[in-house]
Formats: sequence, C-alpha cells, structure tokens
Amino acid sequence: MAFARTSAGSRSGTRASRVNGVLLLPALVLFLPLLIGPLAVLLDESLKPYEAGRIGGTEGAELTFENYTELADPAYVHYFLDTFRIGLIVTLAAILLGYPIAHFIVRKASPWLAKLLIASLIGMLFLSLIVRIYAISMAYGPLGPFNDVSWLFGIDPRSPAKTELMVIFGLLHTVLPLVAITLISTIQNINPRLEDAALSLGAPRWKAFTSITLIMSLPGILSAGIIGYAFCISNLVVPLILGKGFVLFVSNLIYFRFSEISNFPSGAAISILMMLISLTIFYGLMRLVRDKNGEARE
Amino acid sequence: MSSSITRRSFTKGALAGVGLTGSGLAMPSLVRPAAAADRLLVVQWGAQWIEISEEIVKKYNETKDTRIAWELHSGGSAAIVAKIKAIWPNAPYNVLSVWDPVFRDMIAEDWLEPIDESIVTNLATIPDIFIQKNDAGQKMTVPLSTAGAFWGYREDVLPDGFDSIEDLLRPEFKGKVVVPYPINLTGLFIVTCAIQRGGDEKNAEPGWEFVKELAASGAIGQICTSNSEFINAMASGQYGVGFWNNGGWFATAENFPVKIKNRMEDNKGFLYNEGFCVLKGSPLEAAFDFANFFARPDINEMYNIPLGSGPTQPGATANPKIAEWYYKPDELEKYAYIADYAFLGQAKNEWNERWEREIVPLMRS
Repeated sequence: MAFARTSAGSRSGTRASRVNGVLLLPALVLFLPLLIGPLAVLLDESLKPYEAGRIGGTEGAELTFENYTELADPAYVHYFLDTFRIGLIVTLAAILLGYPIAHFIVRKASPWLAKLLIASLIGMLFLSLIVRIYAISMAYGPLGPFNDVSWLFGIDPRSPAKTELMVIFGLLHTVLPLVAITLISTIQNINPRLEDAALSLGAPRWKAFTSITLIMSLPGILSAGIIGYAFCISNLVVPLILGKGFVLFVSNLIYFRFSEISNFPSGAAISILMMLISLTIFYGLMRLVRDKNGEARE
Repeated sequence: MSSSITRRSFTKGALAGVGLTGSGLAMPSLVRPAAAADRLLVVQWGAQWIEISEEIVKKYNETKDTRIAWELHSGGSAAIVAKIKAIWPNAPYNVLSVWDPVFRDMIAEDWLEPIDESIVTNLATIPDIFIQKNDAGQKMTVPLSTAGAFWGYREDVLPDGFDSIEDLLRPEFKGKVVVPYPINLTGLFIVTCAIQRGGDEKNAEPGWEFVKELAASGAIGQICTSNSEFINAMASGQYGVGFWNNGGWFATAENFPVKIKNRMEDNKGFLYNEGFCVLKGSPLEAAFDFANFFARPDINEMYNIPLGSGPTQPGATANPKIAEWYYKPDELEKYAYIADYAFLGQAKNEWNERWEREIVPLMRS
C-alpha cells in the first residue's frame, strides 16, 4: 500500500515537473536569444585580438587571453576595488538610513503620513536620474549652497576626494528609496505583537527591537542590500557625470572601450570579468539570505 | 442549432489566414506609393549644431519633401562608429555629421559612398584640401566647417590669464583647468602637451610627462567627455581654463568673457574640418541633395555662424565674433597645427590605457 502510494506520488511529481517544464518553455525561448546569445557573442569578442585603429576585434585571427591578462595591472584592480568599495559604502548607508524610514512608516506613522511618505519614496524613483544628478551637482558643487557639507566628512571641497563624495550622494539618492520600499514590506510582515510580548515580559525596548524585529528583518535587509548593491556597481551615468573623470567605475571603462575607442575585445573582457565577480558576490549573498531566512523561520 | 468545426473548415480557414498574412507581408515590396517622400536619418551633434540644422531643414523642406529624422551623437562622435559596426550592413543612418578623424575611421572600413559631384554641385567651390578622400582618390566628404581646438580662459574668473600652459602648473591654477578625456578630440590634448615640451603626436612622451605634472599639481579640475559637459563646467564658474573645441568655447563666450589662447609662442592651435558623409545603402539622390543644400554658400554661412566655426565656402562670411579665433594665411605656419588624424586614430587605444593606468591614479592621490 505504502509502495503504491509512493509510486503514485512519484508519477504525479513527474507529471508536475513536465508541466512546469512546458510552462517554462516560452520564458526560455525568450531568455536564450536575449541573454545567453549576446553573452556568448561577448565572450567570443573578448577572446579576439585587437588591432589599433580598427573597429572591433580582428576576425579570423587566433584567439587570445591577452584582453584578460592586461586587467591584472594594479591600476585596473584598483578600478574594480573602487567600484565594489563605493557600491558597498552606498548600500550600507542606504540600509542605515532606509531602515529607520521604513520602520517609522510601518510602525509609527499615521495612515495618511505613511501614505505620503510611501508616495514620496515612489515619486523619487519616477524622477529622471539625470535631473537628480544635475540637481546634486549644482547643490553640492562649488557654487552650491551645500558645498561645505564635505567638511562634515573631513573632506576639503576643492580636493578630488570631494568627487567621490558626490558620486556617493548621487548613487544614494536612487538607492535609498529602493532600499526603503523593500524594507517596508519586510517590516510589515513581522508581527508587532512579538515585540509587545517581549516588552510585557520585562525586556528593555532596545533589546526587544534588536532581538526580534531586527533579527527577523535580516533576510529583507540582505535582499534590499542586494538590490541596492546591484544598482550601484552597474551604474554608468552617476560616476560619468559626478565623478568628473576622477572616479571611474568599471562600467565607465567598458563604455569608453565600446563607445569611444572601438576596442570591443577589451570592453568585452572587462564585461565578462565584471559579470563573473558580480555573480560570485551575489551567489554568496543569496546563500546568506537563504540561510538567514531559514534561521528566521525557525 | 449547434455549430461545429470540421477538419476541412479548419484547414480552409488556416490556409486563408496564411495566405492573407503572406500577401500582407509581401505587399510593401510589391507596391510603392507613387510619390512617397524619401526619409533620411541624419546624425548630428546636440547643442547649437542640432538647433541650426533644424532651422536649415525647415528652409530645405520649402522646396523638397524629403523627411529628415535626427539622431544625436552621445558623447564624442566616434561613438557612432561603434554603433554602426555592431549592426553593419544594416545601419539605419544615412547622413552623418562628423569630423576628420571619424571620417578616416569610416573610410578605412569602406562604409561611405563616394560623393556624387553631379548632385553635390556645391562641392566644386570648397577648397580641395578640406575634402577627405579614399585610397582611390575619390572625394568622400562634404566639409561644412573649419573648426579648431584651442586653449582659452574665462577672463572674469582669471583676470590675469596665462601666457603659456607652463603657467598652469602654478598654485593659483589648482583645480581650475578643464581638459578633455584623452580619447575625446582624438587625443589633441596629449598632442598640445607634447608640442609644449618639444614633441608632437608621433613623439608624445614629452606630452605625457607634462600631463603627469599637471595631474600631480592638482591643476586639473574636471575631465569632460562631451561638449555639453564642457559648456556646463565653464558656465559653473568653478573652472577658468580649458582646452576644447571652438563650439564649446563659442557657447561659453555667448555668456562670459572668453580669451582664446591660440597665438602662444610655445604652443599651437589645432585645425580640422567637420561635415557630412553618406553611408552606403542610403537613398543616394536624397542624401546627396540634402548634403548639397547644406554646402550652398548662403546656407554654409547660416550653419557656421551659431557654431563659431569657419565656413568652408569661400563665398560665405564668418561670424565676426570669432574673427580672432582663426588664423590669417600668414599666421598659419607659426600658430596652426594640423595633426595626423590617421595616426591619432591608431594611438587612441594605447593613450586611453595610459591615461587610465598613469594619470587617473595621480589625480586621485
């Protein structure tokens, strides 16, 4: 009897997986030519030698890893580290600022104030990135009213370090609403009575908050962080305009190669390397989210 | 009464559907409207280039019904080369407004149609030296402007100015200098620095040494990648000195007092041509006729006045505001420099990498 039930279960499982496979087909049909296809072309281009003065890689020539090996130069390692470092700073700042905003909206704000704040956060996302960048450039630039804000961070407004601060502000302006909106749904899903119960049992407020709400929102914080970090490290426009040529992200190096000097193989090699590093980071973070989700459920 | 679908009726319906779809798809190639206007996709720079071009097209459409659609260069005009390469031979563009180094790249790729002088009759009066040719000696471009890249400064920001770019190493110029990314203006910034120290584009090492000194001194305040960035930077008042093309300087000079330093004893100003070329696969008659209209002496004058560029038609008058920006014939040898743009096109990849490896780290330190 038990055997019959098992075999019936396995049959229905096989049928379900077949149905799933069929349902996945349309997405796969779109996914393969739209993503895998271009990536394969990019990989192929990255292995072609480049002849100065020509446009793109040399067709029919012997494939080479030279486009990858030249990225071992310390200067290029520095550009990669800069991109990931600035992305991390912005993401952490967005979480630190976004969490209290989300918590206030969910737990403290009156319904109309919550609606107003959520509408403001969503409204910020609708504002063109270019508009925001130039607004920051003017407000925090040398002739802007907030030029001296950099002193708060110990940075001379006339130094190149100020441009890094501007890039951080520019990225934060977009990432903060994204992170805050993501965290709102996370905090909404945590039962406030758990914290109340801890308080009624004599736990101090800070402990009730950190050991219940904060711990339970860790998976959401990590998810919001992943979204924010992905936005930061792939951004082109913010470092291009606010970086003033001093702060270059990996995306800028790729853009110059494809757009200005037609060295497609080098641009493709940087793109592939960036993609591999990013995927490794995100795979690690996703595992962390999964583990934390499991812990939170327990 | 119930309706049922039989196999025969389904097959008939399906075949009829396929037939209709097929004939619908084939129709555009079989039938052409009797008097359909040609459509050209023209690539042009933004700012004052597109503004004056749109005005000229209004005049053009008074007599010709060719429909003109515009696409703007993003960043330097070299970017269009990469876009075309990615989709060649199916590029949607017909007429491209670019400058000498980009003409050379496209001629090398064999993408351009030789100019049909029976249609572009105005080419006959444009000096031959301005026209880019292919290896077979065929004329490939319709030059519309004589343009230049020069050092200059805002007199209200830096009343004392400078006599030589060596002065820019002094502390009072810290953070005041705007320069192009080395691949913009096809490396002319490196060439002007090389000339300063006795080199040229083929002996650029002295130039790199000077750029390193500039970077280490903190003089460079912004590195621009487009005209708009330069115009915005100079308008901000944060920077006083720059090396850029006449278009960027002209836009700045419309609002602020500008002094162009194109007659320095130890440096040179750079001259080149901008204009139109026609991509293969375009509706040739319409494309050449359009280019010919822009090359007409009165239109050539109208085109160049707001750009701050010199006209290429000897019969056209230059904007009197920029008379000082360009050279009289007897000054050309002393102050003007026409770089080897084919060489610069080959050097830009190496120069870009040098900039990323050697200069950017110096500026950030």
